[in-house]
Amino acid sequence: MEQQSELIVALATPETVSAISLVRLSGKGASKTVEMLMKLKPGRLTGRKRAVGNLAGIDHLVAIAWPRGKSYTGEEMVDLMCHGSPGTARRIIEELEKNGARIALPGEFTRRAWINGRISALDVLTLFERFKGNGRQEKQKNLSEELKELKSEMEGLIEFSEDHEVSGEEKINVLLKELKNKAATLVINVRNAEILPRVFLMGPVNAGKSTLFNKLIGEEVVVVSSTPGTTRDGAVRTVTISGRNVEICDTAGYGGEELDAKALEIVMGSMKRSDRIVWMDPKCFTPLKHLTEKYDVLKVCSLADRKENYLKTEWLPVSSVSGQGIDEVIEFITKTERESPSWRLERMIELFAEAIKASESEDIALAAEIVGEIFREAEEPEKCGDAVERALERFCVGK
Amino acid sequence: MRRCRGKSPGKVLCGEVKQGYQVVVIGGGHAGVEAAIAASAIGCRTVLITPSIKKIALMSCNPAMGGIAKGTLVREIDGLGGAAAESADKTALQFRMLNMKKGPAVWGPRVQTDVLEYCLAQKRNLQKAGVRIIQGMVEKLEGHNSSIEGVLLSDGRKVEAGAFVLATGTFLNGMLHRGKAAWPGGRRGDVSAIALERDIRERMFHVKRFKTGTSPRVVRKTIDSKFLEEQISHDLSFRFSWSSKSGVKNKENCWLTRTTGATEKIVKESLKHSPLYSGRIKGKGPRYCPSFEDKVTKFPDRTGHPIHLEPMGENSRVMYLNGLSTSLPEEIQEKIVRSLPGFENAIISAYGYSVEYSCFETGEFDNSLRLKRTDNLYVAGQILGTSGYEEAAATGLLAGANAARNILGMTKIVPERMSSYLGVMVDDLVTIGTDEPYRLFSSRSENRLNLRQDNADRRVFSLACRMGTLSEEKKEAYARRNKIYNSLRKEISAKRIHGKPLEDICRRPEISPENIGRMVGFDAEEINEKEILSTAVLDIKYAGYVKRAENRYKVRMRYGEASLSSVEDYDEIQTISIEARESLNRRRPKNISEAESIPAVRQADIDALVLHLMKERVSRET
Repeated sequence: MEQQSELIVALATPETVSAISLVRLSGKGASKTVEMLMKLKPGRLTGRKRAVGNLAGIDHLVAIAWPRGKSYTGEEMVDLMCHGSPGTARRIIEELEKNGARIALPGEFTRRAWINGRISALDVLTLFERFKGNGRQEKQKNLSEELKELKSEMEGLIEFSEDHEVSGEEKINVLLKELKNKAATLVINVRNAEILPRVFLMGPVNAGKSTLFNKLIGEEVVVVSSTPGTTRDGAVRTVTISGRNVEICDTAGYGGEELDAKALEIVMGSMKRSDRIVWMDPKCFTPLKHLTEKYDVLKVCSLADRKENYLKTEWLPVSSVSGQGIDEVIEFITKTERESPSWRLERMIELFAEAIKASESEDIALAAEIVGEIFREAEEPEKCGDAVERALERFCVGK
Repeated sequence: MRRCRGKSPGKVLCGEVKQGYQVVVIGGGHAGVEAAIAASAIGCRTVLITPSIKKIALMSCNPAMGGIAKGTLVREIDGLGGAAAESADKTALQFRMLNMKKGPAVWGPRVQTDVLEYCLAQKRNLQKAGVRIIQGMVEKLEGHNSSIEGVLLSDGRKVEAGAFVLATGTFLNGMLHRGKAAWPGGRRGDVSAIALERDIRERMFHVKRFKTGTSPRVVRKTIDSKFLEEQISHDLSFRFSWSSKSGVKNKENCWLTRTTGATEKIVKESLKHSPLYSGRIKGKGPRYCPSFEDKVTKFPDRTGHPIHLEPMGENSRVMYLNGLSTSLPEEIQEKIVRSLPGFENAIISAYGYSVEYSCFETGEFDNSLRLKRTDNLYVAGQILGTSGYEEAAATGLLAGANAARNILGMTKIVPERMSSYLGVMVDDLVTIGTDEPYRLFSSRSENRLNLRQDNADRRVFSLACRMGTLSEEKKEAYARRNKIYNSLRKEISAKRIHGKPLEDICRRPEISPENIGRMVGFDAEEINEKEILSTAVLDIKYAGYVKRAENRYKVRMRYGEASLSSVEDYDEIQTISIEARESLNRRRPKNISEAESIPAVRQADIDALVLHLMKERVSRET
């Protein structure tokens, strides 16, 4: 609660020269702080009010106050429209900081809107997609609104159709299919906007990591050599593979000189739990228990085109030269991450398919139950929390 | 019929009232009958007092039993040892399974019944159960609120007992309305319990006024049936009661007609004569069983409202016009009826009317249906705020059972919300309350896929055993069915088809119970076996959803202890209704279960509160 109503401020428009800049202030005491700085009567900015005046001698601006429950965040909120120079906006924000506000985190305004029940998890994901995808968005109804309408349509059909002789089974089918298609479009857009976790190419020295790295990113950026331990500093590239943005890291070989071991240690230290590892070992030998416990690991038996391989069943034979196994590696790299925004949406689409099947087999009650599950997927913070947080991380400050 | 007038002649004509009763049931409607039978089954000497013995279990409105969720409730009544299901089977004229294309979980069995035969059947059931019947009008309760000692009849007789069930239906200060006319009455041709209502008010119970209405009845031979659409029966060999040996027989058909533009015009022009719209009726009516005046006002552009013609009995001379509930003046009712196609020369045998009656406010009774301020007075049926024969019968059964258990020093019985519609209804009435006559809907349950009509006996069996209302014979019959069910489940879970577990195949939407029956060689011929097969397959099919629903419910119940101290201002939680926010800010409950006990706080508000707390937790963790 404490944290939630804390006063936060951020520039909501780009930091550049423009006609107008918008500084957004949200949280407990937003109106009071602005009233004080603009020397307005106390209470002047309570409710949906507007005031024009000078703010602390910095700029002549327009303040628009939003009451609790009516604002974007659901909290007390004030939008300050000042002259559009980065300097002015910065000084206003500094002044507000001096008076108890703190700079908002990326996506924090939207997070508050979600926590305060102003928007649903599904709305956050939709926003995320609109926000990241630069394409034009046609005006569309909110997916969660449409879900609600569909649910009430179904309930009406179950409870009242006998009295009023409406037959709406076909309509339900059509609506379900439409919504499924919409969700599918949303998934594609969200997926494009998502940056997947990093993938580390690791393994003993001279296992062919850099060759695979180059193969994956499609150009020679890393010096490849058959002398063990050529790659020392590692290389990082963000590439688009089958429509997905992936960050691939090449690392120094394991078991080389002391210098390599150090480089590896640094890499390991920077790794997050969500990162993926492609472990390459032409001998399929390295014990990986300590890694598989913690990370998602793909065991690759590299240099599969050479004769001296010891193939083991759980190791994937890969050859960058012949192209063997490359598709599987790409699949591993680009697979949707659990609990990511698009993974959540994909789960919803599966549920839509189930609901359609049920409705087509004359079981509207079951279809309604499944739509209820979709709802809960979208609404329950315990289910969607992670996906929403992931999406919010990618929002900019001020949104 | 013998009548008891005054004090002394009463004694002579009707004889002394034998004392030594343990349970007195006041009212002989659907609630009263089940209450008396249940109390007697548990082992109490029970007496039922009704103003008119002839009208015991009379269907005062439409001649039908069952429907969506309601039909399931009737089967629950049977599973709990009640009598309504058996009588409905015996006196059925036509059977229809509603919602056939909407999934087995919401199938709604409904029968048209022979109204008079139903009365007789239920009266026989009362006698079979050993219930004494007294004809008389209760005027007063005797004794202090905390412990009611007896009831005083209008003829001066007193009946004493240890526990009482009030099941007065629409009789409690009932007021009938038609056009400008208004007169006291419990139902057409019956007196109103005015004195009893006064006594209840004087005892400081909070009562509110509800309203309901009924349609005109028309002489059958004056209707030209060639303009009507016949509504055929469904031949599914269905029966409500597991004790009925065969499916109900179809003896009569129903017909359908539609209102014409002229009908709506007549009503619109006459609204000023309607007691509903002139402000004479203040009681709240059911939104889901609206009067025809309401339909025309709410959907002014719609025409062709369906009107179902239902016979009041086998070869009955009178037809009930379902869908035309009205309290307009008689001459206007005549005009309305004659505007229907085929009704040009129709003669009305009984006019429609509205009835306004008193019922208890939410919060007056607990989940055993006992009035909280008394130790031994129970309530059932419409005075709880319900509407419908099925709802009345089911609450009657519960109230009667709890009254009997009270006297015998046994614990109260509360049905579970997740396992029966009775549980849903009682929980709704006690925790949410209702500001209009409460009708059951399948969507009132959060565990709808489990609350089906086919498995009603399985769902309520343990409740019935705890209640003590089930006869040994019925218990044995259940045990036999249960054995078949269990062995069938075993067979299904052991079997694989082409390497796939049969249970997985059960979950496929296009697979029917008959398909599965063939795969395991279960040749269901008898009606019970067919049903057991469907129950087994549907139980498997919906198991995952049911389990999740039950877990969600458990989580919600667990939240009862969740502290609300972190909420400073409920106005900040926009998802809660304004009404609830005000009450919550005023009362400052410590935890969710305290919040639940505040009348203005509805279940939806509680859900929103729980959601808020969860989000708050998420936001704290991030």
